[in-house]
Amino acid sequence: MSGTWRTGMLSVTAISKSFPGVKSLQDVDFTAASGEIHALVGENGAGKSTLIKIISGAYVPDQGEIELDGRKVAWTSPREAQGAGIHVIYQELVLFPELTVAENVFINDQPLTRFGIIDHRLMESRADDALRRLGARIDVRRRVRELTVADQQMVEIARALVGSVKVLILDEPTAVISGREVDLLFDRLVALRTAGVAIIYISHRLEEIFRIADQVTVLKDGVRVATRPVKEVNRDQLISLMVGRALSDVFPPRRPLRNDAPILLRAEGISVGTRVKNVSLTLRAGEIVGLAGLVGSGRTELVQAIFGGVPFDAGKVEIEGTVFTRTSPRSSIDAGVGLLTEDRKGEGLLMHLGVAANIVAPRLGEIARGPFIDLGAENKIGADEIARFSIAASGPQALVASLSGGSQQKLLFSRWVRACRRVLLLDEPTRGVDVGAKVEIYRIIRQLADAGFAILMISSELLEIVGMCDRTLVMCEGAITGELTGPAITEEAIMTLALPV
Amino acid sequence: MTNDAESKPSRALALLRPLTRWLTPAVLIEIGVIALLFMIGFVISENFRTVDNVVNIFEQTTGLAFVALGQTVIILSGGIDLSLDANIALTSSLLSGVVNGRAELAAPMIAAVLTIGLTIGIVNGALILVLRVHPLIVTLAVAAIVQGITLLYTLMPIGGMPDGFDMLAFGRVFGIPIGAAFSVFCFAVVAFVLAYLRPGRQIFALGGEPAAARLVGVPVRRVILFVYGLSGLLASLTGIYLVSRLGVGNPTGDTNYNLASITPVVLGGTPLTGGRGGVLGTLLGVWLVQTLNNVLNFLDISTFYQWMIQGLIIIAAVSIFIDKRRRAA
Repeated sequence: MSGTWRTGMLSVTAISKSFPGVKSLQDVDFTAASGEIHALVGENGAGKSTLIKIISGAYVPDQGEIELDGRKVAWTSPREAQGAGIHVIYQELVLFPELTVAENVFINDQPLTRFGIIDHRLMESRADDALRRLGARIDVRRRVRELTVADQQMVEIARALVGSVKVLILDEPTAVISGREVDLLFDRLVALRTAGVAIIYISHRLEEIFRIADQVTVLKDGVRVATRPVKEVNRDQLISLMVGRALSDVFPPRRPLRNDAPILLRAEGISVGTRVKNVSLTLRAGEIVGLAGLVGSGRTELVQAIFGGVPFDAGKVEIEGTVFTRTSPRSSIDAGVGLLTEDRKGEGLLMHLGVAANIVAPRLGEIARGPFIDLGAENKIGADEIARFSIAASGPQALVASLSGGSQQKLLFSRWVRACRRVLLLDEPTRGVDVGAKVEIYRIIRQLADAGFAILMISSELLEIVGMCDRTLVMCEGAITGELTGPAITEEAIMTLALPV
Repeated sequence: MTNDAESKPSRALALLRPLTRWLTPAVLIEIGVIALLFMIGFVISENFRTVDNVVNIFEQTTGLAFVALGQTVIILSGGIDLSLDANIALTSSLLSGVVNGRAELAAPMIAAVLTIGLTIGIVNGALILVLRVHPLIVTLAVAAIVQGITLLYTLMPIGGMPDGFDMLAFGRVFGIPIGAAFSVFCFAVVAFVLAYLRPGRQIFALGGEPAAARLVGVPVRRVILFVYGLSGLLASLTGIYLVSRLGVGNPTGDTNYNLASITPVVLGGTPLTGGRGGVLGTLLGVWLVQTLNNVLNFLDISTFYQWMIQGLIIIAAVSIFIDKRRRAA
């Protein structure tokens, strides 16, 4: 595919990488050429992070070769890859907030005076040079903590520049910055491209790829499904390649709005510190309501507050007519509300317990006689749910740690569908599961809504919000900035509402 | 996906499952090491291979058994209790000091020191909940306060118990030491609670994934108060046992049970991170440690070496059972 392009500065051939139980990458070829922006797309779990970790020396591949400038290399550490000019800017920036900009830029190889002492003056002037080359005006003596996220990103890129960057990898750089900052970032990336840097750009936002990338590679379930010049593909083709099927087969059909359906949950004036500001919403039986917004816009805090995972400072929650001025997980579960958390491992699964024990956990009382747990009943429920949600487990006593990501997520669905009676709050319900499991989860969500559940669904994948939701609320900086219904739910409309003005 | 045998599991099988799970690698290793120690003992000394010596080993496990049981439950729940020695110092000193040989005071004072032990534990739990500070710090601070109170009461072992009180430590029924048998009974009760009762399930859930446990409605406060209360209660049992064994309480707090109670837990395969493991491994761990000490005594190895060996055992056990994934990360 890439034969018509310039000789690659960096190329990987037939890379494979497995983790216990998971084949993360299989036989992947990838080339990043000098003076080119190469986009890497794919769903969560497609293998993008694994690939960049291999390229940047954080993982050692099981098989395959890496070549830089035509020479075969084998990194033993990220530091070694950095020394050779490969730098990664992760979404979670790797910065030291209490150190100055210059100190952060030269975090590894500070220039020394001939007495072996750090040469601050030289360090600061070189950091300043690097930032100027990026067109950023940042005082190199300031502490990084005081900078905006966009400026912090520039500090990281400057770190790559002073180390003579050949390949710059950006992992979802726009997830944490706003519209104008995105424009600035793109200008700088284009300048770096002109200077001959090979840029690998990872993003979920397809419109960005059409804006700045030259090439695009699509990964799906650890396999490279296509590498094309961006000019030769359109948006729908790209989505189909990512999910591996026609768009119409992914999402179940949307239902018409039912404004007469009973209100199952009403939240009024919910505030949590400065992260959620006076938010009100209602959920009706039978509808799927999306909750969109940037990471950090307060979406997770809002559903956690409604459920009782974090306390709210003001407001009230009304569940089927019962008013709660404070909530706790126990009171919400008893009132029929369930919360599927974003963090599956930390806040969802009880990793050392079995499948059945995980499923019955929120309503342990139901299978207990006094303090005694009816282990026979627990086992039976486990077996039934394994069949009902087609969870790939060896049995009700199988440890959840042994399940695949998709099965773990289906287990959590099973838990909360069993436990909650009317309202299900979903925080990133398809994060980290493969496409097949995703489609199943979409079908389950729609079935639940049809059965009379009210569903509130947080998602960072706009495609999912657009495809699944009957109604969508958009949050920005802790407040709800708009509501979209039916066909008005588009990626563009959501992004407009989600970005700070 | 599922066959008939799985979808209609036999009730009896489900009930037995927790039992089969107890035969973990750690438990099997412990049994092997104990057997090895016995073989060494048999070879090195004629006196080791007497029924009397074996029963003695069992008898001497009593004090450690109670505190190690409490420590296991706390570690399973994700915490740690370092107030054991202080608890023992206070409860044992008060018992012998107040009773002072008067038989009519023995029973009420036993009840009183058990209540005090329980209270120290509950205070530990309450402070952990209110302050949200690591249990290590909270229990050490509580230990300092309790130790101070003890030393205000007495600087030296005082008082004594009425005749016959030593039968808790030395008494035997059909040749079996009473105190040690009671400690095994306590292990059985706790094992049952952990395997079959709701609090047991909740302890594992909380220790494994605290945030997830809270979000599925586990009553966190109740569980924390329960485990620290239990540990405090069991520590005071060890205090009572020591008074029975030595005839008088020990106010100095140098019984070294804070560390000693952790050794059998770790040997038994309960990781310090909590959420996994069980009490059978701990019980075997207690026996293993005591057998080892006995063998070392027969080998005439100084107690100073025994200290060093105890430290080495903990480090070895922790490195064997360390979570491989965590280490890789």
